[in-house]
Amino acid sequence: MKRSKVLILGVCMALVLSLLAACSKDNTKNNASGSSSEPSESQQATGSASQSSKEVKITFFNTSAEINTVFENLFKVYKQEHPNVTVELIPTPIGGAQIEKFQSLIASGNPATVANLDAGTIFQYKDKFLDLESDKAKYEELALPGAIDGALLDGKFIGVPYSAQGYGLLYNKRVVEEVIGGAFDPSTIQTRSDLETLFKKIEATDKAPVIIHGADWSLGAHYLGLAYSLQTNDIEKNRQFVEDVKNGTVDLSTNEAFNGLMDTFDMLKKYNARKSDPLVADYNKDSADFAKGEAAFYFMGDWSWAVIGTLEGRDKDFGILPVPISDNATDFGNSQVAYTEPKLFAIDNSGSTPEQQEAAKALIEWMITSEASQKAIIGESGLAMPYKNLKVESTNPMSSAISKYVADGKTINIGVINYLPSDYWAKTGASMQKYLVSKLDRAGFTKEVQDYWKSTAGK
Amino acid sequence: MTNKKFLQNTGTFLLFGGPSIFAFFAVVLIPFLFGLYLTLTNWDVRIGDHTFLGFANYAEVFRDKVFLTQLWFTLKYVFFTVVLANVAAFFLAFALTSGFKGQQFLRTGFFTPNLIGGLVLGYLWQLLFSQVLPYLGKEYGWTLFETSWLTDTDKGFWALVIVSAWQFIGYLMIIYIAGFMSVRVDVLEAASIDGANGLTKILKIILPLSAPAIVICIFISISRSFLTYDLNLALTKGGPFNSTELSSYHVVQKAFLSNEYGVGQSEAVVLFAVVAIIALTQAYFLKKLEVEE
Repeated sequence: MKRSKVLILGVCMALVLSLLAACSKDNTKNNASGSSSEPSESQQATGSASQSSKEVKITFFNTSAEINTVFENLFKVYKQEHPNVTVELIPTPIGGAQIEKFQSLIASGNPATVANLDAGTIFQYKDKFLDLESDKAKYEELALPGAIDGALLDGKFIGVPYSAQGYGLLYNKRVVEEVIGGAFDPSTIQTRSDLETLFKKIEATDKAPVIIHGADWSLGAHYLGLAYSLQTNDIEKNRQFVEDVKNGTVDLSTNEAFNGLMDTFDMLKKYNARKSDPLVADYNKDSADFAKGEAAFYFMGDWSWAVIGTLEGRDKDFGILPVPISDNATDFGNSQVAYTEPKLFAIDNSGSTPEQQEAAKALIEWMITSEASQKAIIGESGLAMPYKNLKVESTNPMSSAISKYVADGKTINIGVINYLPSDYWAKTGASMQKYLVSKLDRAGFTKEVQDYWKSTAGK
Repeated sequence: MTNKKFLQNTGTFLLFGGPSIFAFFAVVLIPFLFGLYLTLTNWDVRIGDHTFLGFANYAEVFRDKVFLTQLWFTLKYVFFTVVLANVAAFFLAFALTSGFKGQQFLRTGFFTPNLIGGLVLGYLWQLLFSQVLPYLGKEYGWTLFETSWLTDTDKGFWALVIVSAWQFIGYLMIIYIAGFMSVRVDVLEAASIDGANGLTKILKIILPLSAPAIVICIFISISRSFLTYDLNLALTKGGPFNSTELSSYHVVQKAFLSNEYGVGQSEAVVLFAVVAIIALTQAYFLKKLEVEE
């Protein structure tokens, strides 16, 4: 009796131990393919099994959350073309804790091989990424003029741009043309009063003139962010401007571009479709209402095509206008739309093996140049790519409209935001929200924004 | 012989307790201690290494006025959530132990919100508050619902309280039901014979005899509502303009959005201390109310 108890105990122990052993074995395997640079037993084993080429497993961290599945399918295609490279997608949720996830991967010593991040995030973590200087000439060859220069961070090439986006006042062509009774030429709107005249006409037909999306990112990063980019068309000078605001040598309340922008905001506020509940900020509903013609204008960017493109019963054609900041048609900003390469592909240099880095370089080049990838990025996702000789044409009328501005050189380079502190949009966005619901007047609002900048001085 | 017995006991203990102890050390105790150490350094994920600072981060915590106002806001939120959830759960449990048909089904129904994750729950209620209720409000002229609750600083607070309470109620109800089950039927019958009516029975018999359940429920609801993060994120994202940011939300924003890891981590430790003090104090005092049958 006693013996059998001991026996049972022994068997149980053996089972538990084998379970733990199995776990630990799994771990070493993961480590071998993940971060350690020494070839472990298991890696050598697989290496000898497929003698010709080594198996490489790389991970891809994606913050373009709206196209997670597009990338996932794309990596399956890549696997078919390159059987010895496995790309594993690390998805993130839309508007969710993306940076937190990226940070925890870095902090735990298990970084993703390739990261698709906002340029600003890459700049903050610049020591963690591989310098791509040796590939720069190749990409300059492929890209549109100025695209690679626009992606440089402090003069260094550490991220490859894959998409280009622009924003401003999107308009619903059908609605606007019904109101003015004829074809609409966007170049007729060059000043704030031009726009207001049009808004008045639209309001008279019982349509809402414009939707202001009340989320902090839209108000803080996109709308107020223009104020820093509108100073000059030179990123370095704009960076200096922000530094001057921080150390108090520039006063926003007397700044022309800032005040012009806020005067326009007052005007937009007056005609806002969400006037009764301005902060409701439902991205899908706002986009859908605009696409179905309930409002003529929408302060947003071409990325909203991801929602609008698949809607049933939407209008067909959309265009974009710059946000006017004055009544002087020649002022910088009145005929330019905001344009940027928001997301870059960067390669990890803090825990990846040289083989993984080589595989990552090959993957990025394939994602830029292959037809399969262009089909996915341009065709399925509706994004614009800042490259020449593309094999796929865009179906997104908004990014086509922006491309025209780019071709004419009528863009505002908003690259200065890459160098701003990572919480600027949330903090100044909250101030914009207060201004939007008239909880703050202009003076109070300006003070809050300046106080924020002063609090970040020296950090 | 005793030596052998000792070995045997140790073996049995390790067999059953070992994995839990290992897990406890690996995911709770060691990270917690390491976290405590990190609050004394200028740790930054971007740089990776850290130097020793002493208590500078904690000094920063008490200078962070936003954190202090939000801690006060969180206290209010916890108070109302705990009261609402426990009162509702108590009476629900009372109703669902009275023995009518279909009470099993209703118990399952009330428990379900607890099985839905906070994020999903938050998005569900966000749709209700920002779309469904305003729509109904406009249709029927209910001024209370005409604008979204989530865009108003005061109503946003109550939206948080209602949704959290709604999530907790089912879970607490189950504990209360278990507590009521331990009240012996003959005691209640004796009370009836002595002429006690419904309210007297609740106040004089059921309430004291189910005190252990009350202690547990309040403890659980305090500690859980202090740490609410997912609901806060999904429902209001701390908005409008940060007015509904709960402490744990603020901690995450501070650490990961503003890149002030040391201060954020110190605020988390302060929050831990506040939760521990409040939860343990209430348990200590309420435990005195427990009576022997």
